Amino acid sequence: MKQKISALMDGELFDDDAEAVLDQLNHNPDIHEEWRTYHLISDVLRQPNHVHVNISSAIRERLQVEPTVLAPRSRASHNAKWFALSAAASVMAFILVAWLSVQVGSEATPQIAMQQSNAVHAASLPANGLDDYLMAHQEFSPGVGVHGMTSYVHTVAHQQADKQP
Amino acid sequence: MKAGFALIMVLFSSAVPAFADTGSRVDPDWPQIIAYATHQTDYSGTFVYQHGSHMETARITHMSDQSGEHEKLENLDGPRREFIRNNKEIWWYLGDHKAVQMERPYSGKRFPALLPEQLSALNENYLIQTAEQARIAGFDTQAIVFQPKDTLRYSHKMWAHKDSGLLLKAVVLNERKQMVEQYTFIQLEIDGDIEPTQLMPRQSAAFLEQPSHSVTQSDTSAQADMSDWKVVAVPTGFKKIMEMRRPLHGNKTAVIHFVFSDGLAGISVFIETLGNHFDKKPGLSSRGAVHVYRKIKDDYLVTVVGEVPPRTVMQVADSVRYKGQ
Repeated sequence: MKQKISALMDGELFDDDAEAVLDQLNHNPDIHEEWRTYHLISDVLRQPNHVHVNISSAIRERLQVEPTVLAPRSRASHNAKWFALSAAASVMAFILVAWLSVQVGSEATPQIAMQQSNAVHAASLPANGLDDYLMAHQEFSPGVGVHGMTSYVHTVAHQQADKQP
Repeated sequence: MKAGFALIMVLFSSAVPAFADTGSRVDPDWPQIIAYATHQTDYSGTFVYQHGSHMETARITHMSDQSGEHEKLENLDGPRREFIRNNKEIWWYLGDHKAVQMERPYSGKRFPALLPEQLSALNENYLIQTAEQARIAGFDTQAIVFQPKDTLRYSHKMWAHKDSGLLLKAVVLNERKQMVEQYTFIQLEIDGDIEPTQLMPRQSAAFLEQPSHSVTQSDTSAQADMSDWKVVAVPTGFKKIMEMRRPLHGNKTAVIHFVFSDGLAGISVFIETLGNHFDKKPGLSSRGAVHVYRKIKDDYLVTVVGEVPPRTVMQVADSVRYKGQ
């Protein structure tokens, strides 16, 4: 399902597939929540300074303000809504790709390149190989005073990174 | 609690116009306010943590009451992991393994807030300035920039909630102003009602408690004396704030642990006998702003961990000396 939502955001689904996903989105609150989260994540990536929480409801509100005079309440307005969202998602996906390529591009410098090669090295460590040290370090690091427990995200997040090839 | 902050903020905002000519000079209390708020405010929210092309979301719930601080950090991506802290005690829940590991700090020392000496260290090592005001996760924030005076440490930018002082976003930048890591709250509730159950572990995993080893003399007998070791090339501004022998999780022998701090970043140096650590390959690894460098020195394994650039941890590791060497 996640892949389908992602594909839908990127505008890569065929019409009938998209219809099916949209239908599920409309009927299953969990999936709808997922959809919103994806947008939020794209939003954060794209513009970390201005996170628009709950973007879909904002758009829905705007759409509701739009006069729908005598048009029958039907799929037409729905399609318009989803089309708008889908287009927005494509833009986001593009910006995301651009953002990622900037990240990759910046790795050419020797220092970062060294980091990269060693990141591969880290992958060969057992999952818990460094966590003990990180935990022990964080216990005393001034970062804990400033960031509180969020600084432990290094340890939570890291194991993920460790396992990646 | 909140009234206290409000008062501080009122004082701050009324004091600033009086010294308008000082421009972006930061109120010296900001770092202290942030540190205080982190530990004294009740909050619950979701944040995104990003480093390189990695991105993770995690949920944090924090509550402070008469019995102290209670906190839960839980990752929302990948295998479930939870950290639960009750004051100084940290429980680490690894959902996949249905196991619970316990990490108990070995001394009472923590950083409930930035200590006065650390604040002065901060001012010596960083140029602290207020920057723009921004809206993050629906809250109005003030940005504060910590610009280091050399390239051996990272610059930090933090966005603090104007009312509570809570940190809503933090970015670590390298000398080329590129993002090393950042975390941003995307959803947050401040001073909301937090049910104690929200701070409980989500899974009632089959308990496997691994209490910490206590350091005994026999543990450490094979170990070189702590005073025999010196770290000679710690960057200017880093001061040793702690030295101790500690057991490291699962390790039978104790390790020597030095901690250096410049007020914002910490560098830990671990020294242990090589023993059966041949599998731990030396070299550099990095996770966001935290760099780890391991080096074998004679029969010892030196591990340096810090929220500093790679060359700083390498420089520190290379400067570890035994006795008169």
